Amino acid sequence: MTGPILQIEKLGISFGGFKAVDDVSFEVERNCITTVIGPNGAGKSTLFNLISGALRPGSGRVLLDGIDVTGLSPRRMRASGLARSFQITNLFAELSVRENLRIAAQMLESKTNALLPVRWSRLAIGRADAMLDRFGLTSKANDLVGSLSHGEQRRLEIAICLVAGPKLLLLDEPTQGMSHGDTEETKEIIRSLAKEATVLLIEHDVALIMDISHHVIVLQQGRKLAAGEPAAIRANPAVQSAYFGRA
Amino acid sequence: MRDQQSKFMRASHVLMLFFLVAALILSAIGAGLGDAFYIRLGTEALIFAGIGLSVDLLLGFTGVLSLGQALYFGIGAYASALVLLRVPSFWLALVVAGSASFVASIFGGLIANRVRGVYFTLISLGLAQVAAKIVYNTRELGASDGIIGVPVVQVDLGLLSVSSDDPLGFFLLVLAIVVALYTILSYVLETPFGRILIALKANERRVPFLGYSVWGARMAAYVLAGVVAGLLGALDPMLRGFVSPELMSFMTSGNAVVSVLLGGVGTLVGAIYGSVFLVLLKSVIGSWSEHHQIVVGSMFMMVVLVLPRGVIGVIHPWLRTLLSRLPPSLDRPGSPVREVES
Repeated sequence: MTGPILQIEKLGISFGGFKAVDDVSFEVERNCITTVIGPNGAGKSTLFNLISGALRPGSGRVLLDGIDVTGLSPRRMRASGLARSFQITNLFAELSVRENLRIAAQMLESKTNALLPVRWSRLAIGRADAMLDRFGLTSKANDLVGSLSHGEQRRLEIAICLVAGPKLLLLDEPTQGMSHGDTEETKEIIRSLAKEATVLLIEHDVALIMDISHHVIVLQQGRKLAAGEPAAIRANPAVQSAYFGRA
Repeated sequence: MRDQQSKFMRASHVLMLFFLVAALILSAIGAGLGDAFYIRLGTEALIFAGIGLSVDLLLGFTGVLSLGQALYFGIGAYASALVLLRVPSFWLALVVAGSASFVASIFGGLIANRVRGVYFTLISLGLAQVAAKIVYNTRELGASDGIIGVPVVQVDLGLLSVSSDDPLGFFLLVLAIVVALYTILSYVLETPFGRILIALKANERRVPFLGYSVWGARMAAYVLAGVVAGLLGALDPMLRGFVSPELMSFMTSGNAVVSVLLGGVGTLVGAIYGSVFLVLLKSVIGSWSEHHQIVVGSMFMMVVLVLPRGVIGVIHPWLRTLLSRLPPSLDRPGSPVREVES
């Protein structure tokens, strides 16, 4: 496949006259890390909700791999290869870490296995264990998710998106509330993701954004303010006044 | 390799085994003493445990509260009574009751699963009330009198035959069916489908983002629960010789929810223990006082306040700890030894 994996065309939605996302267009290149930045309330999470199917766009189109997927349900978006994480940790707190991953991975199993015991689903368990290893959660495999630290839960949030091998990952502030050490570790994980998938990221950590992003899209009050490579974005006077200017 | 959920259910299995052994011993003693009353009371408790299993599958594992599971129990009972009046076949009655509750729960599910949370609960209640009123006003179904004179049925089990008016024989048959349904439901909860149900209870909003259909899973759980209630409902007219619209009433649905809460929600086996507690409690207190509902109601409130996880809910964690201390050779090798005690 060639061409951009995700094309966003004039996407918009308004809530009672308030244009939360307004006429936003951009493309996401394969095996790249594209980061959406912008002040609070700029419409970043709403944009993710529109792309992942959590909200139905009021206008515009979403093309995944060249196919129009505008307004599909979250389930169909996931089936099309798009996985997303959440800004506020959204896991199965009462289940074990491994079971969280295994449930997310069981979509890879053939439908005929739906009524066979889960301990026979080698593929899903294997994928789950590979994620435990990669995300440094093996020692916590049997712990309940609710008992994990915040940083571990944030890492699991990424692992759950990745476990079934999506084409495109939407990560909504993966390092939110993380310690410095955890952020560094997560940064390397995200960087490694681009080898096997494409990453669309929402982040606030400027150093992290500049370090790992291939492209940056700046949103302000629901509209696209600028887009380009990190260095160009940093040098952009409009972006500086809108975003970096505060610092 | 057993995962945490399997280990959780293992405690339920031990309690189920204990229940089975206790039921066999007590019924043998009862039969030895020539008792029929308590054996038939026990049979009734087991039959109502079926609605409890149905409620617990929905409430304890899928995370939705139905206040109308008696609807499918009643449909099974009426279907069974209508069959038995014409053809004295236990198996035909069971198949027709299962099919009728299957079809009915698809219709009910299509309506109730359009909404969630408290709205689902209200619709499930409304559906059962509407159906009960329809039956109450249908002369062909005996209207308010119900259907009386359901004949005694011979249950052909191949090698031996059991009559539904043989207290011990019928008790053992019902016990076998309840154990079988418990086994089937526990198996289903061990499958990928069952785990989606458990995921729904844990965090319904995340499930579609993992690529699974919330509606489809809830619908399947609802139909499965309806069929479980319907199959046990089929046994009720065989025990009592009649059916009445009260079988579908809120009293019946409500009692099933009470017995699940009493026993311990989310354990399956709690529904069975809870149903036995409730039926015994009602009968024993009912023999002292006409106002047994007051006593049962107060005791229920006490249990919910003092033991919010139910009676089995108290024993369950303790048993899980005990089982996890068994020699690891009993578990398949390779599983990490780390344990979680919640």
